[in-house]
Amino acid sequence: MKALSILLALAFFALAGLYWTGALQFVVHHPGGPHHKHAVLFAGLGILSLIWFRFQTSTPSQAR
Amino acid sequence: MTFAQAMAIAILQGFSELFPISSLGHTVLIPALLRWNVDRSSSDFLAFVVALHLGTAAALLLFYQREWRGVVPAFVGSVVRGRLSGSSQEKLAWLLVIGTIPVGLLGFLLEHEVRGLFGSPLPVAVFLFANGLVMFAGEALKQRQHAAAAQAVGGQTVATGREYRTLNDLSFFDAVKVGLAESLALLPGISRSGSSIVAGLLIGLSESEAARYSFMLATPVILAAGLLEIPRLLAPGAHGIMLESVIGGILSAVTAYLSVAFLTRYFRTNDLRPFGWYCVVAGAVSFALFSSGIR
Repeated sequence: MKALSILLALAFFALAGLYWTGALQFVVHHPGGPHHKHAVLFAGLGILSLIWFRFQTSTPSQAR
Repeated sequence: MTFAQAMAIAILQGFSELFPISSLGHTVLIPALLRWNVDRSSSDFLAFVVALHLGTAAALLLFYQREWRGVVPAFVGSVVRGRLSGSSQEKLAWLLVIGTIPVGLLGFLLEHEVRGLFGSPLPVAVFLFANGLVMFAGEALKQRQHAAAAQAVGGQTVATGREYRTLNDLSFFDAVKVGLAESLALLPGISRSGSSIVAGLLIGLSESEAARYSFMLATPVILAAGLLEIPRLLAPGAHGIMLESVIGGILSAVTAYLSVAFLTRYFRTNDLRPFGWYCVVAGAVSFALFSSGIR
């Protein structure tokens, strides 16, 4: 699962970059510049994937 | 769009964004019924809508400021620790994050296409009618669930003493369900708060708890929709509508605050059915007017 979370993070950040630069413009049906909102969305999902990774790697607290 | 029309739309947006009657549906239907010359795709109008969203989000943040002051540090704390501590604020923070994911994904990816297909008055009237039926169905299913639960416990229809779940009892999968239901509001005429409150009822929340979760869940979405579109508000083409945007944003904030204050009190003792009746009647009348060509 750790590898999956890192892979997802990389994929989401890559998608964010592609949307930000306009390289994925052909995916959407309407004209205009790069889709910055989509880029922000995928960057957010990338951050959530990194948080998921963080949750998997943290040391469990000692039982008291 | 005249100044008076802009102010009327701002007030309408502030009220209808949080009432379960679809703000988008009303901002399509009412200008069309009154034959206002509103170009919804113009850069002026889009900039104006950004200001209205920012006003609504500000009102929600202000109303729930105590909750947000607890939820945000709890979220950051859990990320830093890398695990959940079990506090109710932390649970609420993650319910909000997880519930926002389907809304954000579907909203950002499909919003333009869906509204392009269904943004004209006739389909909006149909969806508004359907929105009313969804609220009736949600209330009926909730009552059936409660009757079944009471009978299962006592053999008779009596209160069990703990009829409703709280937000702390919800699972993260429940949050996904509410988020998916809220995504239905992409369809103009389907209410964001209506669909998420109904989903809340179906997973066992009371009306007041479902409404609280719905309003808090709507806040990041409305805020993000406004913040990400701020460049439209600052674009040279939007300067002509700056006064309308500023005053409209304030009016929208005031009316949204009054709405959420009213609704949180209303849902302590009342249910969704009056809004259901309103949507069914308004949807049917609008459909009749638009399909007959009177409007």
